Parts: sequence; C-alpha cells; structure tokens
Amino acid sequence: MKIKTTRFLATSLIGVALLCVCVFSFLALHMGARSSRTINEVGSLYMSSMSQQISTHFESIIDIQMNQLEALAGTITSDAVHRDEALQQELIDQAKARDFTYLGFCGQDGSVEMLYGSQLTVIDVEPFLSSLTAGDKKVAIGTNESGEKVVLLGMPSPHEPTTDHTCAALVAGLPITYISDHLPLEENNERAYSFIIRRDGSFVIRSSTAYRNNYFERVRAIYEDVNGMTPDRYLEELGAAMEEGRDYSNEFTMKGERFHLYCTRLPSSEWYLITFMPYGAMDVIVIGFSREWASLTVFSGVLILTALLLVFYKYFGLTRQQLRDVESARAAAEEARRDAEHANQAKSEFLSNMSHDIRTPMNAIVGMTAIATANIDNQQQVKNCLKKITLSSKHLLGLINDVLDMSKIESGKMTLNLDQVSLREVVDGIVSICQPQVKAKHQQFDVFIHDISTENVLCDSVRLNQVLLNLLSNAIKFTPEGGEIHMALYEEDSPKGDEFVRTHIQVKDNGIGMSEEFQRHIFDSFAREDSMRVHRTEGTGLGMAITKYIVVDAMGGAITMDSKQGGGTCFNVTLDMEKALVMEEDMILPNWNMLVVDDDQQLCESTAASLNSIGVNAEWSLDGETAVDMVVKRHNRGDDYQIILLDWKLPGMDGIATARRMRQELGKNVPILLISAYDWGEIEHDAREAGITGFIAKPLFKSTLFNSLRHFADLPEETEQEKLRERGRDLTGKRILLAEDNELNWEIASELLSEEGLVLDWAENGQICVNMIEDAPVGYYDAVLMDVRMPIMGGYEATRAIRELDRADSGLPIIAMTADAFAEDVKRALDAGMNAHVAKPIDVGEVMRLLEKYIE
Amino acid sequence: MTLKECYAALGGDYDEVMGRLRSERLVQKFVLKFLNDGSYQLLLDSLAAGDREEAFRAAHTIKGVCANLAFNDLLASSEQLTEALRDGKPAQPGEEALLARVKADYDCAYQAISAFQEGVGG
Repeated sequence: MKIKTTRFLATSLIGVALLCVCVFSFLALHMGARSSRTINEVGSLYMSSMSQQISTHFESIIDIQMNQLEALAGTITSDAVHRDEALQQELIDQAKARDFTYLGFCGQDGSVEMLYGSQLTVIDVEPFLSSLTAGDKKVAIGTNESGEKVVLLGMPSPHEPTTDHTCAALVAGLPITYISDHLPLEENNERAYSFIIRRDGSFVIRSSTAYRNNYFERVRAIYEDVNGMTPDRYLEELGAAMEEGRDYSNEFTMKGERFHLYCTRLPSSEWYLITFMPYGAMDVIVIGFSREWASLTVFSGVLILTALLLVFYKYFGLTRQQLRDVESARAAAEEARRDAEHANQAKSEFLSNMSHDIRTPMNAIVGMTAIATANIDNQQQVKNCLKKITLSSKHLLGLINDVLDMSKIESGKMTLNLDQVSLREVVDGIVSICQPQVKAKHQQFDVFIHDISTENVLCDSVRLNQVLLNLLSNAIKFTPEGGEIHMALYEEDSPKGDEFVRTHIQVKDNGIGMSEEFQRHIFDSFAREDSMRVHRTEGTGLGMAITKYIVVDAMGGAITMDSKQGGGTCFNVTLDMEKALVMEEDMILPNWNMLVVDDDQQLCESTAASLNSIGVNAEWSLDGETAVDMVVKRHNRGDDYQIILLDWKLPGMDGIATARRMRQELGKNVPILLISAYDWGEIEHDAREAGITGFIAKPLFKSTLFNSLRHFADLPEETEQEKLRERGRDLTGKRILLAEDNELNWEIASELLSEEGLVLDWAENGQICVNMIEDAPVGYYDAVLMDVRMPIMGGYEATRAIRELDRADSGLPIIAMTADAFAEDVKRALDAGMNAHVAKPIDVGEVMRLLEKYIE
Repeated sequence: MTLKECYAALGGDYDEVMGRLRSERLVQKFVLKFLNDGSYQLLLDSLAAGDREEAFRAAHTIKGVCANLAFNDLLASSEQLTEALRDGKPAQPGEEALLARVKADYDCAYQAISAFQEGVGG
C-alpha cells in the first residue's frame, strides 16, 4: 500500500516535471525562432527602405550630371558637330566648366570619339547602346587608357542621326569616385555598407573590404551556409531575381556574423545595389529580449515545478500521515485485541485455578476442625479451635462474596459497610488465620504494634480483613520456607481532624520480591508475576486489585510498596479512619509493678506505655539476664513484681530458661506470662514445666493486656453490661410483621425470633401484609420481614405498595427473606425499596443484626 | 427411631438444624409439621393443571422449608426444579426427571418422618 502510493506519486511527479520541461522548452524554442523571423522581417523592411534611399540618392546624383549633360547637349545645334571646330571647343569649355573629366561622342558602333580626355572604352557596350539608340539616358562604366574605371553618362543626341550614323550620343565621363563619394555606401555608424555590381557580378563600386573584382567570386569564397543555403544556391536565387528585375532579400553569415543582404536595381543603369547590414545592434536587443523571455520561461517553469514539488511533497506527507494513522489505528486495534485476549486468558486461568485466597481460610477451617476432632475432650482447645474456625469462616464468606461481586468491584460500585471495628479483633483474627500457613512453611512471623491510641474505629471490617489477609497471604506465599514476615501497626494523628486517627499498617517480608516490571502491574486485575519462581504459587490474581480498590478508592487511603527482586517486599497501607464513639470501658488495673521482657525495644516501650495508661507501673528489659537481675533485686527488697511478661524468643537466655531462673528465685507466687505470637500448643508443655503461669498473645493491644491481666486482679470476669453489649441492643418487645405464605416457615421464624424477645405478627401474603400495616396505628410495627415469593401479591410488589402508603411510617425497615440468594436477587430487593436482604434458612443472628441496624 | 436417625434417613443435616433452632423439641415440632405442609400437593396439582407460575411458587416454598429444616436432599432437588420453573420458562426435556427426583426425595422424607412420628407416638 505504502510502496504503491509512493511509486504512484514519484511517477506522476516525474511525468508532470517532464511535461513542464517539454512545454517550456517548446515555448522557448518557438519564441526564439519567432524572434529571429521577426528580425528577418524587420531587417528586410529596414534594408528595403535603406536601399530605396540609396537608390533615390543615386538617381538624383546621376540626374544632376545628366541635366548638365543635357544642357550641354542643348548647345549642339546641328548634327555636324564633330565637324564644327568652334562648336566642339564650345562644348569642351562648357564640359570642363561642369567638371566632366571626359567628353566624347559615341558612335553607332559603340566606339567613342573623344573631344577631350584620354580614350575610353565602354565595358559591356551592348545594353548601353541599345538604351541610347532607344533615346534613353544611360549610365555605364568604362575604362580609360590606363585601365582605370570611369563612369560614363550617355545622352542620346537631340537630333536625328546623320546619314553616316556616326554619332549616336554625347558621352561624358566622370571618375568613379564621383559616385562613391556622393553615395553613402559605407555608413560608418551603422556598419551597413553597399556594393554596386553589374549582372555578371563584377564590381562597379566596391567597399574597402572587398578586394576581388567579382562579387560572385567573393560570395563563393567567404559566405557561409545559412539555413541550408549554399553560396551557389544563393547566387542562383540572386541571379534569378536580377533577371526578373525583382528586389532580393536574404540573410547570411560571414565570418561568424549574421548579415542581412538587400539587392535592388539602380535606375538608368545595368547596375545593382547590394546593401549589407550586420544584425549587430538589433541582434543585441532581440537576443536580450529572447534571453529575457527564455529566462522568464525557465523561471516560470522552475516556479511551477517547485509549486508542484511542494504540492506533491505535501500530498506525500499527508498520505504518509494517513498511512501512519491507519497503521497506528491498526496497531491500537491489535493492542486492544491482545489486551482482550490477555484478559480473557487471565480470566480463564482465574476460573480454572482454585482461588488461593479462598483456600487460605478454608485450610484454617479444615486444620482447626482436625485439631478439634483430635482434642475433642479438651474443651478449652476445642473452644479455641471453634473460635478460629468462626473467624476463618466469616472471612471465607466475605471472600466468596468478593469473587461473586468482582464485576461490581471492577465497575467501581463497591461500597463500604462502615461499622465499629476493633483493631485488636481484626489483628487477632488475621493472625489466627495466618498462623497455620506460617507454621506450615516454618516462617518467622511477628506482629508489632505501638502507639495504638484508638482501638475502636469506624471501618468495614470485612474489607479491612481482606486487605490484611491479602497482604499477609501474599507475603507468606512469596516468602520461602524459613523466611521472615513482619506486620506492624501504629497510629498517629490524622490530618483530617480530631475525629480521625491515621493508622499505618506495614507488612514486610524477606521473600522473593517483585521485578520492577511487575510492580507496575501489581494492582491490575488478574496480575501475577509470570516467572518460573512463582509458577507453582497459587492465587486468584485479584488480591492486589481488590486491595488497592478497597484501600485507595473505597477507604480513601494510600498504599505504597517497596520491593526488590530477591530482596523482599514491604507494603505500607495508610488509612484515616474515624474514631468510633464507644463508651470505652474503664480499663483500670490495680497499681501493680510489672516487668516486660522482650528483645524489641519498641515493643517494650509501647507495652509499658499501654500498661501505664491502665494504671500499672511497668518496667522493661531487653534480655533475660538483666530481667533476672531486676527480679532478684526487687525480691530482695521484698517488693516483688506482681506480674512478669516474658517473650519466648530472647537473645542469649531464652524465655523458658529465664522463666526457670526466675522461678528458682521467686518461688511460685509471681505469675509469669509468656508473650507469643504463635499458637502455644507446641511449647505449652515445656513452658508449664518451667513455671510459666499462662500465655498472652501478641499483638499486645491495651485491651489484650487488660483482658489477660484482669484475671489476676479481683475483678469480675465479664460484667453483665458487657454481655449485653456483645448481644447487641435489646430489641425486646419490638413488633415485627412477618409476611410468609408457608405456615411451617412462619412457625420456625416466629419461634426463633420470639425467643429473642420480639413480638411477631403473621401476614400470609403481600396483600394481607399491606392491609395490616394500613389498618395498624402509625408506628405499630417496627419492621417487616418479607418473603418474596407469595401468592396474590409478592414481596417486591408489597414493598412498593407499603412505600407508597401515605403514612408517617411508610419508610419502616423492610428486610427481604428469601431462599434466593444471588446478587441479582439482593439487587432486586433493594431496587424494590427493601432495606436489606437475608437468605433462608433463617439465621437468627443475621436477622437480629439487621433488625438492630435498621430499627431506630 | 430418634430424630437424628430420621434426619439421616431423609438426607438432612441434623447438626445444622440443631445449630440454628437450638432445641430438639422445636426441631421435632417443625419436622412433624412438615407432614401437613400443603406445598408439595400444590406443586403436583399446579403442574397437572399446567399453572407453571403457581408450580414455581410451590417449588420455591418447598425449597425454603427444606432450607429452614436442613432437609438437604429435598432442598437440592426442589431447588433445581425451582430454577427449571423460574420466570415461566416452558418445559425443558429434563424437567420430568427433576420432578421425579423431587418426588423420590419427598417420599423418602415423608416415610422417614412418618416412621419417626410412630416412634414418638404422635
């Protein structure tokens, strides 16, 4: 395509250029020829008039002499003049007075009888005589005795010829210079000159340049061919013109110079005037004109060619641009196709792979179930397992929802469900979920928290969990066995104001890291680094996309990362969360002295600060040896620590050994608690043996410390108020209208919800439900639980009808209860004006939660 | 026959229903009531009368009841039938088989519950 266009353009350009050159060359040549023809014509005109002038001039000077001669002839009174001496003398005197050099009588035979001057011979006497005999005046040429040329003027005798016929005419002679002196044969300024010749070509008068006696010889010798005219041909034409008595005009070249020639017959003679003029000056003008014309032509040609070139160049450029556009459009289409293929492939892979993110909590459930089954008699253990299973299940449910709602996330329609969230619970939950995996890979996992001033914030706990789980499970996934994973959590003042708190979450590992190329795509959907090292790693490829969406787009936070291939990865999440306005329980412990032993100074300081804030006087130590010294010192003073918190992993003497030493010094009275981020099942036996009283799980939130330590004070386990708080708000006595067509389902719901203290009324279909609300006083019902599929009037319709009622309570909470649990069912329910949707089978906890949420 | 055995016989999940309803007394009460539930008859009648919309609602109700009582076998088969009948879809080739499965599961549940009822003397 491109080559074809280029070739077409080049060909047409060359064609048009050639056409231009041809047209303008033709114009130039044509005008050149035309101008030389014009010169010829102008030359002819000019020459003819000049020749005419010379010819007239010639006639007039001859006429002057002829008149003299005629006057002279008038004096001849008789034809016997040649016998009359006196008359002859008279004639001679008068002729001399008239400056005639010769005078004589011409006989019938052509012989000249001289009256004075040397004897003259007429050259070419025949036409001379015949003219004279016919009574015409005639000019001819003759020679004297010394051979010099003499102009002869013949005047026929005024008298009848005498009987002897001896006298035909009176003949006077003049030197040839008379004519050449009086005729302007050589124009000095104009370089034009003339010859007078006879018909045979012999010169009568010649200019100084001609040295030959015959003009025709001169022609043959020095004339050059002009326009294919050979000298012979030219002479032939000239001869023919002379024969016919025509004027003749032509041009020729002589010695490299162009001349114009004009030939005309002179009157009263057998002579011809040949005038020459070199083009010279005229040529200069005309050639100047021709040159100007030619250069103008060339200039125009060049101009037009340039314009053409420009147009072609522009057109070429445009074509190229178009081609480029087409090319880039094609490339874009190709790119889009590749992207689509890539996305499609990624989705296929995603679908065909078991989601790693789903497996993670599932593994925890399976593992914990196995542990619980194995320890079925150990109630504490089973409780512990169940707690973790609950946490994992909840998270699993959240994740499944995410996968189902992936399209929602991608279209940016995900909304947050803000609720009061305890960071402690979130972190505890996430740690429990991750523990089994970390253990399986023998990784070192630590959680550091410090400067946590606000434990309760407003946040979407499922999403926050999801973010943390994503980051942690990635860290676990991409860190080889025996690697280290750290999670840190700390708070600072938020720039958004006092109601907010800025929380930093850092997840750091020393795993395989990411290539820079991959770091650019990490937040894309279905992204997973494609290299041999991670080929076996499972995952949805959605994790980071979801994470980024939640943190940045939904929560308005920031996520940054720092990663180096082979050098580990560190993610930093920053969130500004609103502080939850909860009545923080007065967490006050007795005025104890406590010792915190941990090799991490930050942890020690942070924990000591937390303890101080709940009324405990805390000291800390970074290693076991110092700690033992401190304990011994106090023991000797009789002022023992009330409780000692001891890290399991310490440099030098480890936690177990330290505990053993302390026990030796202190006896059994002082509780020693082991701080551990791990499930302590494995070390419990050793720890108990070494005299450890109990365990306290990292991370050490203020509430963690308080709840773990309160056992050692004389405080009630859990207040009645707390129990109530855990159960949520009291909905006892609230009246709920349940629309449900099936009696069995109604009974089940009624039974379960009545136990929660609710009062239930039954509507057997949507129509009855609407009627009952209409008939009841305003505010009688606190909420409606609505089945969707009912005879006469379905749930959606009933909801719309209720919402349209002209009542103050037409906006009461309506919760859909249906066996359909697809996302579109939820959407339909919400679209119909319901507040929420809950799936069958009835989950009392979920229903109660929703009722609490919507009943004011 | 205990209630648990009854659940095993009809392909239900006793633990699940106990987890939700919390008391055996309640579960027993509702399970026995299942025998009197008219949805199954409604389903058969509407299908016979060609009222597919009503049949869909009846199947849907059976599905909801089974979900509440954790009758998982019947829940599964009635759910498939519900989907086959949803939105007034015309009869598909496999529908007969779906209905046959619902019948089989219902009969199975009915017999198991009847046997249990005899046992408790109700």
